[in-house]
Amino acid sequence: MTSGAESAGGTTLPRVRRFLATPRFARIASVLTFFLIWQFLVPLLPTRLIPTPARVVGFMWSEVLGDTLARTTVWEAFGISLGRLGTGLLVAFLIGVPLGLLMGVSRSAENFFHDFVVVGLAMPSLVWALLTGIWFGLGNAAPIVTVILAAVPFVVINTFEGVRNVPADLSDMARAYHVPRERAVRHVLLPSLMPFFFASLRYGLANGWKGLVLAEVFASTSGAGWNIKYWFDAHRAQGVIGYALFFVLFALLLERLVFQRLSRRVFRWRPETEQVPETDLLAGIVDEQAPAPALSGAAVGGSSELKEG
Amino acid sequence: MAEIAVQHLFKNFGTGDGLVRALQDVSFEVSGHVFVSIVGPSGCGKSTLLNILSDIETPTSGKVSISEGGKDAAVGYVFQSARLLPWRTVIDNLLFVQSTRDEEARQRCRRFLEMVRLGDTADKYPGELSGGMQQRVGISRAFSIEPDVLLMDEPFSHLDAITARELRKELHVLWNATRKTVIFVTHDVGEAVELSNRVIMFGRGGVLQEDLTIDLPFPRDPADEEVAVAKARILRRFEDLDLVAT
Repeated sequence: MTSGAESAGGTTLPRVRRFLATPRFARIASVLTFFLIWQFLVPLLPTRLIPTPARVVGFMWSEVLGDTLARTTVWEAFGISLGRLGTGLLVAFLIGVPLGLLMGVSRSAENFFHDFVVVGLAMPSLVWALLTGIWFGLGNAAPIVTVILAAVPFVVINTFEGVRNVPADLSDMARAYHVPRERAVRHVLLPSLMPFFFASLRYGLANGWKGLVLAEVFASTSGAGWNIKYWFDAHRAQGVIGYALFFVLFALLLERLVFQRLSRRVFRWRPETEQVPETDLLAGIVDEQAPAPALSGAAVGGSSELKEG
Repeated sequence: MAEIAVQHLFKNFGTGDGLVRALQDVSFEVSGHVFVSIVGPSGCGKSTLLNILSDIETPTSGKVSISEGGKDAAVGYVFQSARLLPWRTVIDNLLFVQSTRDEEARQRCRRFLEMVRLGDTADKYPGELSGGMQQRVGISRAFSIEPDVLLMDEPFSHLDAITARELRKELHVLWNATRKTVIFVTHDVGEAVELSNRVIMFGRGGVLQEDLTIDLPFPRDPADEEVAVAKARILRRFEDLDLVAT
């Protein structure tokens, strides 16, 4: 007995103590504490309008199983929204990348588009959602156009910054060795733009997604935004909170399954410490005031402006 | 045999009040298997001269030509920092500057990596190498195109003294083995004396001041009296010209 306790004290206890001191434990503890307080505090409140986490999770589970009162299941709703988001982002890149490149190489183009881009960056997605609702009515057009309008300025600004930051020393090296232009574009220009394309994608996606949900609330009869409005109209708080949590899960999955893998592959040449931070996308989606990511040290986020001069 | 001719070269930057004269009426010729150092204080136009010789910049007026047997010569350039593509492996960095990228070119690149003792780093990324190793990759890249002329812009100035000394020795061996014409820019007079047959002194404002021959046997040890005397002579000359090398 004694020897057993001693052996536990000798190996297990320090390990447990070490785990208790890790940031991971602090994060898990913080989430658990939040849910525990929520679970036990709510029944004490003099209202039935705030659901317990158990009720929210129950609601989410029924949705996942396809058992819902809404017209579409969570799978169908997210499928529709993802289709719109993908289409909108694709168009935003087709417009934004050439425009950003043009602004990067031409001072006249920069001066011409500068103010439009700044206004675009500052414009709340809500405005685009309302306007496209008026212009296009209910359907696919309003949400898709909202995604385009919300994402384009971020694609433009990041591509522009990318062109401005192409390392001159490497371009000069290529010129000194008379490297053919096509090879220099492929091996110097494009790779140096890559962090900025990533930033474009992240910010375009985050802002496009926010615009999309709003547009679906106001100007659509389907999609994740419409479903959250359905539960709002039905006066079911667990539905609204449940869908908010679906959004968070969606952002997390996108971050883990798409961005982290893509970034590891594209930036495998970088030393470990320079890897792209994990939580940027989530920060972008969940928090309007999220700081610009430290993606490349120069990527441009929501509140940034074009460089003068 | 490579021939370099620089004739009445002028280079200005900016205009009006902001006009900077980087090079003023510089003329000299270099030919054959020589190691020429261009020495002078910071801002005397040394790097500008190399940039013009390598087509990175164009002169305001005057002419430069680098030829080999009547044709344009192949020119390799070693920069102050290694200037490697961080997203390409070491071997790909060498292949990037080759005129063809076939198996023969690949073999040649490997050979030159081995000459700087970095054969085993071919598949690493530059970020995984130390500063000295990166600079050696830069040197092997310049040699790998088998240039007629090699331009070097203070290639060891960012390195610690011990690494720089090792690389100077390696460079001398490579130069001797490959019989290239080298134009080597430095602000370090000792380095110039250790490596060169000829030292061209530049003064502030990009004026060519002196063109000296260093007629001492190789390899040269900085501790040798003759080398130290030659270095002291050049430094004194700079002082006489009121152009103390920094």
